Amino acid sequence: MDYSKQIQDIAAKLFADGKIDVFVGYRMNSFDDNQIPVVITDPKEVAELVFTEKSVFNLTNYLKADHTRNKRVGLVVKGCDSRSLNLLLTESQVKREKLYIIGIACEGVVDDKGQKMQNCVECIVPDAVVFDEMLGTPKGIRDYIVNADIIELAGKGLVERREYFEQIFENCIRCNACRHSCPLCYCAKCCIDQETATIYNGSNTSSSAFHALMTWSLHLAGRCVDCRNCEKACPSHLPLHLLHKQNEKVIYDNFQNHLAGVEEGDRGAFYKYSLKDPDDFIL
Amino acid sequence: MARVGVFVCFCGANIADFVDVPTVVEEAKKIREVKFAIDYKYMCSDPGQQMIRDAIVQHRLTSIVVAACSPRMHEKTFRKALSDAGMNPYLLEVANIREHSSWVHQKDKKAATDKAGDLVRMAVAKSIANEQLHEISVPVTKRALVIGGGIAGIQAALDIADARIPVTLVERSPSIGGRMAQLDETFPTLDCSQCILTPKMVDVASHPYIELIPYSEVIELDGFVGNYKAKIRKKASYVNFKSCTGCGACWQKCPVKVPNEYNMGIDKRKAIYTPFPQAVPNKPVIDAEHCTYLLKGKCGICAKVCEKGSIDYTMQDEIIEREIGAVVVATGYGMWDAKPYEEYGVGRYKDIINSLEFERMVSSNGPTGGVPMRPSDGKIPKTVVFIKCVGSRDKAKGIEFCSKICCMYTAKHAILLHHKVHDSRAYIFYMDIRAAGKGYEEFVNRAQVETGAVYLRGRVSKIYQKGDKLMVRGEDAQIGQEVEVEADLVVLATAVIPDKGNPALARLLGISYDKYGYLSEAHPKLRPVETAKAGIFLAGCTQAPKDIPETVAQASACAAKVCGLFAGDTMKKDPMVSTVSREFCSGCQNCVKVCPYQAIVTEDIPLGHGSKEMRTVAKINEGVCQGCGSCVAICRSMAINLAGFTDPQIINEIVAI
Amino acid sequence: MEEVKEKIVSIEKPDLIAPPDWKPVIVGILCNWCSYAGSDLTGTSRTQYPPNIRIIRVPCSSRVDPWFIIKALQTTADGVLISGCHPGDCHYISGNYYARRRFLVTRELLKMVGFHEHRVQFSWVSAAEGSKFAQVVKKVTEDVIKLGPLHLYKKENFSK
Repeated sequence: MDYSKQIQDIAAKLFADGKIDVFVGYRMNSFDDNQIPVVITDPKEVAELVFTEKSVFNLTNYLKADHTRNKRVGLVVKGCDSRSLNLLLTESQVKREKLYIIGIACEGVVDDKGQKMQNCVECIVPDAVVFDEMLGTPKGIRDYIVNADIIELAGKGLVERREYFEQIFENCIRCNACRHSCPLCYCAKCCIDQETATIYNGSNTSSSAFHALMTWSLHLAGRCVDCRNCEKACPSHLPLHLLHKQNEKVIYDNFQNHLAGVEEGDRGAFYKYSLKDPDDFIL
Repeated sequence: MARVGVFVCFCGANIADFVDVPTVVEEAKKIREVKFAIDYKYMCSDPGQQMIRDAIVQHRLTSIVVAACSPRMHEKTFRKALSDAGMNPYLLEVANIREHSSWVHQKDKKAATDKAGDLVRMAVAKSIANEQLHEISVPVTKRALVIGGGIAGIQAALDIADARIPVTLVERSPSIGGRMAQLDETFPTLDCSQCILTPKMVDVASHPYIELIPYSEVIELDGFVGNYKAKIRKKASYVNFKSCTGCGACWQKCPVKVPNEYNMGIDKRKAIYTPFPQAVPNKPVIDAEHCTYLLKGKCGICAKVCEKGSIDYTMQDEIIEREIGAVVVATGYGMWDAKPYEEYGVGRYKDIINSLEFERMVSSNGPTGGVPMRPSDGKIPKTVVFIKCVGSRDKAKGIEFCSKICCMYTAKHAILLHHKVHDSRAYIFYMDIRAAGKGYEEFVNRAQVETGAVYLRGRVSKIYQKGDKLMVRGEDAQIGQEVEVEADLVVLATAVIPDKGNPALARLLGISYDKYGYLSEAHPKLRPVETAKAGIFLAGCTQAPKDIPETVAQASACAAKVCGLFAGDTMKKDPMVSTVSREFCSGCQNCVKVCPYQAIVTEDIPLGHGSKEMRTVAKINEGVCQGCGSCVAICRSMAINLAGFTDPQIINEIVAI
Repeated sequence: MEEVKEKIVSIEKPDLIAPPDWKPVIVGILCNWCSYAGSDLTGTSRTQYPPNIRIIRVPCSSRVDPWFIIKALQTTADGVLISGCHPGDCHYISGNYYARRRFLVTRELLKMVGFHEHRVQFSWVSAAEGSKFAQVVKKVTEDVIKLGPLHLYKKENFSK
């Protein structure tokens, strides 16, 4: 999977036609063979753009930043990225007419060790669902795969799970990198920083991490697209996907196979309801 | 620093027998913010309330906690006591130590006392976060809009207008009257429908407080309760109503013939027409879809014969705007098309008609002069089979509900048939006879005894032609045998369905409808005339199938609701509504989606101070908000709060236990 | 509450033994129109139930933000009960349907991170179901007593 040339050509043409002010893509890191996101405003820098299986980050995160606000933006999206873009569109955070979207029929990306990422192995929507132009051959939506770690956790006992997660919340340093890297965390002031929410919390304890991460994952429940930007950003290497995948599984199983952002106009599972939703857990 | 006063009630022995009240008072005094705590035998009594009023002044209290019975009981009483003492009434919190403690833990006084202490502590913590709130008053435009000029719309309009409130009545067809104007006689008294309806129609036309806009449709409704703006499209009638005298020369001479909707297409009307002789207004309109002049530019006969020169072929649709305060929706019903009943040969055999067609035939002003005739050969039928529940109560064919009126009107039809054709016999296939209503059961008995109508309990499985007769094969479940009736005419009591335009109208008005297209009431039992949207009410068959008395009753109920809404110059509302803090709102608009009352809209505000860039934030219309808090809980930014139940209040309560 | 004879051990933290005078605290968040009215009816009909529940009134079950549950579990509560109107009965038309979705997801998530599912329970109690409310409270209280004290992610000041 290498679309570097195509993307360079498209970006150059877009700049030449005056269709965009900014292009958000990937370029090679200066010290190893990994890639980092790049925001290009100068058409001369187009040659830097690359796209390979090392293009791991979800670039829609850069749409919430100031340097793209109210500008015409060209953007590369993979399947998962396009789902978060769909949500950003319905939640009125970006305007479709200001975007030129290069969709990728993604074959999966790899981590630092060259291993295919877990979310790509279990990917359900590999093709971009919203795009102006598509690169690669679309493969269609695959069957839902339950996350391997969730299956493993479900097999463990209550005490074992508690010990495991207590360690996770203990190791969280509350740096909020997960929040900043998440394309769907765009609130002006995050609720977990607001006085009402924090007043009975410690500053940097497992109880404050518990509150912050649980609230965060519930705010992303039915919206998280499993791009794993948060996990890549986490300096403590916490398996944050567990929280999101658990919610995703519960929502998929119980709420009419809802998957965040796959359909245009989707708002996430908590902003609609069905009369058929399960009722048996209620006394 | 908050200064809270705590007042613990004995409630006679109700609380004091099972909760140690002095201990609760002592516990309350230990709370830092509590500056005054006292108990009394009956806090709700006058001396009790006086204690509260005195303490507020003496101890400069900033909020009050009354530990007594349920807030659902006496919250209003104590709020009044607060405002009498010059304190904002919403600074009150009630700790429910009677229903939630003394009455339910009668065997364990210590536990009940502990719990009462906790409840007081929670209420104190909540009251510290209480804010001063003020009743909301919303101005009201005193004009009602009634959509639909059937009996429901007519009754609602007349009742509202009689209370000297202006009404705009919008009717889609050229004349008011609706379905009831098509009926011959009405059950269970057999009084003539026209005779009781037309005086009301004339009243509508002549009422000084009613503005009748016929041949028009509502195309837009903006705003909220008390402050709606409606746009009404008045279709071009091509006849100047001001000069037209209704002489009828035009439609007599018009050469174009069109199936007559009023007579269910049994006969023809002209392209320029008044729907029926008693129409109100009794002025003709030109049907633009069929008029030769409007289609091809030739003919113009009506203009030539009109002595007043009232015909104006250049007339255009007109948009009328009205400011209104309330809407009554009365769009009525339609008949279900029985096509899916292929085994009956619907559509293949001409002599199968539906009940409304039969109604027109037996009507003395109908196309056949009041005598039923077979559509195939014009002969007078001697044996008529009526089939009930065609479509209704049939899940397989699509309609699960009971159409409610068919049992009664079929009995009426049997009687009418007997009156018009003396040597005829009616056979009625039925599933059940549902004759709940004043005089209804007697009426069905009358049909059976007086006219000799044969009631056969069972479903019809097949209808086929034999010579010029229709053979109706069905089951008589009471004898458990198959029966076959040789019929001259078959009348299907097809299901009553809502008007086809209901879903579109509901979307336009912002109200909900069910899977059949009936408009939904706010509560099936206690709020059957209101919709979920404040200020919009439902009358008649637009909500569910109904007979005339029920429709009229509901229409009058709508009128009462409208009059109640317009009783003052402003509407008073509880201040427990949501508010948006724009600073935190990120404009995701999920609250707009979740709000059941469409109380949330968006507005654009500058990005920063003096900035030209704009951002979108939510805005809550406090006139519409009912204070459920759905938007508060889904707001991820915590930008919305619900007065009276703010996040700090609830968290304070949780933490104070 | 009846005297608890046996030694109670926290189910999530087996090394944590409840002090002999331990009494569980259950935070009950009730909607105003159905469940709160139902709990009032329990009172008026003098139906007895365990005294461990502390009731908080909200207008509608849809007002309950999942972080109220998290916060309650972190601070004072050993168990949480949330109760609303039966499906179709919501005073605010659809509030309980939205709430139902959130509750299911919240509970499953809490279950995964090590809370027993009986720590957070939900019920539909109508204004007429006074006796049902008593039964629900009894069940929840008994469940929580079996689970023992909650000591997960507690803010230190609130440790019991």
